[in-house]
Amino acid sequence: MDPTRELLDQTLLKIAIASYVTGALTLVAYFLARRPALRAIGLPLAVLGGGVQLVELAVRWWMTGVWPLTNLYGSLSLFSACGALIFAFFAYRYDLALAGGPVLSVCAIALSYATIWNEGTMPAVPALQSYWIKIHVPIVIAAYASFMVAFCVSLLYLFKDAVERRYGTRPPVVRGAAAAAGGSAAGITVSAYAVQPTLTTIGTGTPARRPGETALSDAAAAGDPIAQWLAGLPSLGRLDVMQYRIIAVGLPLLSLGIITGAMWAKEAWGAYWQWDPKETAALVSWIVYAAYMHLHTRPDWKGRRTAWIGVLGFATIVFCYLGVNIWISGLHSYKM
Amino acid sequence: MAARSGITVIAGVRTGLRDAWDEAVRLFANVTFGVSLLAVWALLTLIGVVIDQGKDASFYANAYAPPIARLIARLDLWNVYHSPGYIAIIGMILLSMTAATFTKVIPRRIPRLSPVKIEAIPLHAFVRAAGEPDAVRERIAAFFAARGWNIRKRAFGGDEWTFADKNNWARRGVLVAHVGFVLIAAGTTVYWATGYSGTFAVVSGQTAAIPQNGASVELRRFGYRIDPIRTKAGIVYQPIDYVSEAVVTGRDGVPRAETIRVNHPINVDGTLVYQATYGFAIDFRLTHDGRLVAGGPTRPLMEGDAFPIPGTTRAIQYQRFVGTIDRATGTIGPDPRPNDPGVVIAAFDGDRPIGNALVPLGRRIALGAGYALEPARYTLYSGFEYRHDPGIPLVGLGAFVLLAGLCISLYFLPARLFVVVRPLAAGASEIGVAATTVRGYDVFEDRFRELVEALRRETPEPATEGAAPRLVAGV
Repeated sequence: MDPTRELLDQTLLKIAIASYVTGALTLVAYFLARRPALRAIGLPLAVLGGGVQLVELAVRWWMTGVWPLTNLYGSLSLFSACGALIFAFFAYRYDLALAGGPVLSVCAIALSYATIWNEGTMPAVPALQSYWIKIHVPIVIAAYASFMVAFCVSLLYLFKDAVERRYGTRPPVVRGAAAAAGGSAAGITVSAYAVQPTLTTIGTGTPARRPGETALSDAAAAGDPIAQWLAGLPSLGRLDVMQYRIIAVGLPLLSLGIITGAMWAKEAWGAYWQWDPKETAALVSWIVYAAYMHLHTRPDWKGRRTAWIGVLGFATIVFCYLGVNIWISGLHSYKM
Repeated sequence: MAARSGITVIAGVRTGLRDAWDEAVRLFANVTFGVSLLAVWALLTLIGVVIDQGKDASFYANAYAPPIARLIARLDLWNVYHSPGYIAIIGMILLSMTAATFTKVIPRRIPRLSPVKIEAIPLHAFVRAAGEPDAVRERIAAFFAARGWNIRKRAFGGDEWTFADKNNWARRGVLVAHVGFVLIAAGTTVYWATGYSGTFAVVSGQTAAIPQNGASVELRRFGYRIDPIRTKAGIVYQPIDYVSEAVVTGRDGVPRAETIRVNHPINVDGTLVYQATYGFAIDFRLTHDGRLVAGGPTRPLMEGDAFPIPGTTRAIQYQRFVGTIDRATGTIGPDPRPNDPGVVIAAFDGDRPIGNALVPLGRRIALGAGYALEPARYTLYSGFEYRHDPGIPLVGLGAFVLLAGLCISLYFLPARLFVVVRPLAAGASEIGVAATTVRGYDVFEDRFRELVEALRRETPEPATEGAAPRLVAGV
């Protein structure tokens, strides 16, 4: 690339990293302080970062004529962009901005790590010279990014669940004025941080509440500032649904990615399944998320256990994406 | 007497078998059991990813600590994917899916239309509305029908209930996904039963045949392009293209000129031929006291080929081609293109390696006892894979069906609304609405809230006191 083009490429890259870092800090502050202004700043930064990165990849393609997703740098760039944009979609659609800190932090780390593998522009090796690369790779990367966002929601779930359980084991608190007015006793959510509206507020019922949830509400009503802060986080039921919805985006994408990969493999290597480490690692991830979907239908598994499966699933994704590419040699070892 | 006791025994055996069968079906249809099988499958697959597959015992002995190498050998972990255990697990998963499909998925009908205790269902709401119950009921039915809900009405004990269903057809999503799996398994079985595959290599100018269908491939020319690319880490020699110009003769006996490239296989009578690899075949000249040895190599050797030295227990193996030998250091250079080529050969005494050497092309190396070896010249060869897989259409269809089943199950939520309208006072009614879905309540909470809010907006409130919606706390 000539210096002017490289400057443009680097500038876009820096804007993207700056957007992710600033967005992550802003949304961590929003998580802590719940000031709507912070959310209003953080979410557009996620969109900006993701958008700029897509532009950077497009510019790279336009300038060099080489599809930018033939190496780890390109794929990690797309991973960050997809992660930020999928998060932004869910944040706007389902009010998930509280998970933005970890999501954008992962995007920033992934993009920074990607620059280590940026060896400039290289033509694709023969195996990658196929139209399938324009179909298979973006689908798989979007699936990985979905699972990353779901993983961050799982962490939020497990955090809230742990705190609720801690409150559940504490001795009962003396309730304050709000409870005395009958709110908590009647099962209506009472919280100074009632950011997430519950069905109760519009006159509909909600699923039975857990002991920890009740204890947390009681502590919040009694004026415990930490409990009031925690009570403002989305309910565990809501976080569980969020995680499910994001995995419901990722799993079909991963399935489609494996299927298109198999179609490509048939064209390139002669067999749709070669037991290559990458495809078998993707199969492991698929099995874990398929197990998640099955267990999510079971009331005794839904919640904390499925959240842990979400964490395990993302661990298999990291292994499949980076571990296999970097440490295990196979047909998919396209590091540079 | 004996006959009667025989009948009793047979009946007892039958009952026992039926009980065992029922128990087995119950076990295999159990979701937790199915997921346990998935977990074992994932674990075995992961072992196959981490441990290199299909190597010989010496590889594992060198790569792992002795106890682990022994474990790999004893448990057949070097061949996980084709081991009986692995195939058995996949078979059990298919059985589990089949049992679950026939005992749970297919029998799962749309729930009966029956009244419920509205306030006992976690997702519920009560909305007060102006108008007599019959009129309100009509408005409610129109409200839900306009939003795509399928409306049915039934009367129970003087109350007329309205049932609204959405996406009931999507209850079959799991069934569709399971059918997809079965089709993939069937397609794979078709390949195992009737398909074939293999590899062959052809030196330029020579011909090879595909044994299963008799087609022949004559390699006219093999070409490659490797470009030096300057990167931040230095020069990288990047392969750009591999092309085999071949003449292919199929069942009809008519030779056809074909170009075979990576990602562009050719079809010969239903068998696909793929460009897989390439290499440099070497003409070796084995001499003894300066005279060509009659029992020496008679054809160009490919990487990995070996030949014995006549009259000795020794053998020479051609290990690899070296494109560029650094003349200054005598070591292997980074450029794989044949600028200053050579070969790496290894000598064996029986099975025992006794040394190796880098020999420039055209140079002679003494092997001892008067023998000498000269790698004379190279010829490019091309390696091909071929595969005849009649199961591919089934596998493709299965993949499509599986994906469709996943999308149906995940994106179309079957839900039912139970609506009852009861008189409240003169000119006022109370609408009770409750919702159930196949995936619990949390997943429908947002949508239910939106529906109730819309219902409240579009329902005129009675002009009496207490028109505000009733606050309900749930169960």
